Amino acid sequence: MSKISDIPWVEKYRPKSLKDMALPTARVSGQKVQLDQEITKFVTEFFIERKRVNNINGKIKDFNRTAIEKEQKELLQISPERAAILLEGPPGIGKTSIVYALANDLNMEVVETNASDTRTRSTLEKKLKETTKSRGIMDFITQSREKLILIDEVDGIYGVQDRGAVPTIINLVEKTQFPIIMCSNEYKTNLQSLYNKIRRFEVHPLPKEEVLRISTNILKKENITQLKKKDLELIIDKNNGDLRGVINDLQGISQGKIEGDITELILSLRRDSLEEIFSLVRDLFRTTSLIEARNLTDKSDVDYNFLYKWVNENLPTFIKTNGELVEAFENLSLADEIFGRIRINQYWSLLPYFFDLFAGGVALSRTVTPEAKGFRRVVFPRYSAGGYFSLTNVQKDLAGKINLKYEISPIEFVQNFLPFLKILAGSSRKQLKVISDWLELDAKEKKLFK
Amino acid sequence: MEIILVDEIPVWRIKYYPQSLDQICGRKEIKEVLGNFIDQRNFPHLLFSGSNGIGKTTLASIFSKEFLGKEYDANFRLVYANLPLTEEERKQARSEAYISSSKVGSIAGRRITTPAFIQVKVKPFVQLKVLGDAPYKILIVKNFEALGNNQQGFRRLMEIYGSNCRMILITTKISSIIDPIVSRCQIFLISQVKLEAFKSLINTIVIKESLEISDEVIEILYKVSEGQLARAIDLLQLCSVTGNVITKNNLYENIQKFQNDLIRSLLLVAFKGNFPKSRELVRKIISSYKYDTHELLKLILEEINKLPLSRHVRSKIINLLADTDYRALDGRDSDIQISAFLSKICLMSEYL
Repeated sequence: MSKISDIPWVEKYRPKSLKDMALPTARVSGQKVQLDQEITKFVTEFFIERKRVNNINGKIKDFNRTAIEKEQKELLQISPERAAILLEGPPGIGKTSIVYALANDLNMEVVETNASDTRTRSTLEKKLKETTKSRGIMDFITQSREKLILIDEVDGIYGVQDRGAVPTIINLVEKTQFPIIMCSNEYKTNLQSLYNKIRRFEVHPLPKEEVLRISTNILKKENITQLKKKDLELIIDKNNGDLRGVINDLQGISQGKIEGDITELILSLRRDSLEEIFSLVRDLFRTTSLIEARNLTDKSDVDYNFLYKWVNENLPTFIKTNGELVEAFENLSLADEIFGRIRINQYWSLLPYFFDLFAGGVALSRTVTPEAKGFRRVVFPRYSAGGYFSLTNVQKDLAGKINLKYEISPIEFVQNFLPFLKILAGSSRKQLKVISDWLELDAKEKKLFK
Repeated sequence: MEIILVDEIPVWRIKYYPQSLDQICGRKEIKEVLGNFIDQRNFPHLLFSGSNGIGKTTLASIFSKEFLGKEYDANFRLVYANLPLTEEERKQARSEAYISSSKVGSIAGRRITTPAFIQVKVKPFVQLKVLGDAPYKILIVKNFEALGNNQQGFRRLMEIYGSNCRMILITTKISSIIDPIVSRCQIFLISQVKLEAFKSLINTIVIKESLEISDEVIEILYKVSEGQLARAIDLLQLCSVTGNVITKNNLYENIQKFQNDLIRSLLLVAFKGNFPKSRELVRKIISSYKYDTHELLKLILEEINKLPLSRHVRSKIINLLADTDYRALDGRDSDIQISAFLSKICLMSEYL
């Protein structure tokens, strides 16, 4: 038996240097690149650029003596493209590790913020402000190390807790004195304004051989010999390029006795639910038989209430031909109908059909499309058709103004009255003016009519 | 620059909105009955039923205005049963639904199961005594059928607080209202305005706006607007933008403008066989116009009837629509049902 250590292996074996790392491949705007070279280049070039910019700014400040002149002359800024990059890819493939390894190699300090911090505007600013401002006098005396800012799990920025975070990050990118590296699992529309400004590296999952090599290394160091090669491969397959997951699983297994058939044990190991649901959805679209699909849904803890919505959202990503789509959606819609009946009438005996239809039915419908290779983006089912009826703020204001003159329900207002007003206002400039004078519209509301 | 009169209302449907019962177009018999109610200063609970946009709410709210007279503001309320509650209202309902266990009595520490809508929007108004010297308060509930099972909650309310507050329930589907409610109300079935009344209304507008229009065109307008007066007046105003003489062509042109182009483009995208794009589009339509599934499918049905399709394809699509609507009734996630429908149309395009 191996010693049980308190340090998670993931931390214990986190690579100290780029050299001893399993390097994932990456793409930048479609072109394959060496990730380690690229980010080293990025960091070193950043400091050269910073020196240049600060030099020029210093001259500007010296040259223009009066305060007014100083204000008039704009200071140079490091362009966002040179100041920050984004690493995007599935979890556990070494995005965070590569940043730490790089910082270690270049003798830099990493300032990290991740999803476990609430990232409202004020907390973010507090944490990162001193690092982005130009350095103080103390820094010169103490010869402090250069810093590297790591904003991990950017896609986790969501909801009320993180209000105002995106503009703050953009602001940070524009003003920063240190290079910024961001990590993210998936594409998010609310980060669009950020994506426009910086370079995105698409990081791919690690190849199986690489994962195998590293995990056998770790097993050797931990003196674990009982684990069969077949089981190790099963663990790696299950994790699908996620090295961190593999290491966590290995540690979990090695803490108990490794005897006899541990396949069941391996299948029962799971990670946190979001990661699990991502890989579950991916696996589900990989299955070709009912039994496999059934196994997957049986084994998983994911709420089925939720899972079939994930399937709905991600169907078109994995299944491409219309014929298969129809079959898959036919099964899914029947599943949805059955589920509705179960909930209304408490016919719980129908539940097996629901499972088989949405999981197996969908899996079986894929007959022509080849199995998805590589990393497919699994999307969170954020859209809901039956959601709240709610107007945008501008619509609300306009509806309020109109309601003072004319009693109309908000629903009629959007469906019926607003389209009419749009046509009427669009018919001539005079009409637009008459209407906007009558309702005392401001510029924002006028935009609704265009 | 032209000088624009500020007191002139630029939207005709508001400008010609009736101010009193006499001004309401047509409906002589109903107006007579309602007039009697006003004279007697008493009326039972009412139930107005009729198709969309036909003027039920106008009738009800103008009646209440005349009935209550100067006490109107304090004693009148209009609620929409099909609007979901806002976050604050939900919170309020939740906090009121629990009786603290420190209170004495048999219901201490219990949860009251009044539906949130009734709890927040109806009860507070109904329970309050009449203000001023009006005989009753008046509550109008629009789209009453949207309450579904919560209609049951109204049964006792109508009896207990009936002497304090009279209700006017408005619905488009009388069949989906439960019998006990129907039996507590006097029912008015409101039909489309008669052609003569419609003609006289349009003619008064035409004279006031100094337009020219022939009888034939008015008849077309009557047919197109399907009894929705507001829509007819909207169309008339759009026609008047281009000139004072309103012709058939002019009218048809504007009808086309009025149609929902998005639905047609959705169908065209689907007929090209592009599923991901059509799903994106349908989601956009739903979220910007706030249609529910049934409404959307009805619009698609109308559009299908206009498109030049073969008989076979048309009947097939209508079949699909009916199936989708039926499944969406039972199903939990209407997005799945609509996606399934679209995927079928996308596949169909390959065989067209």
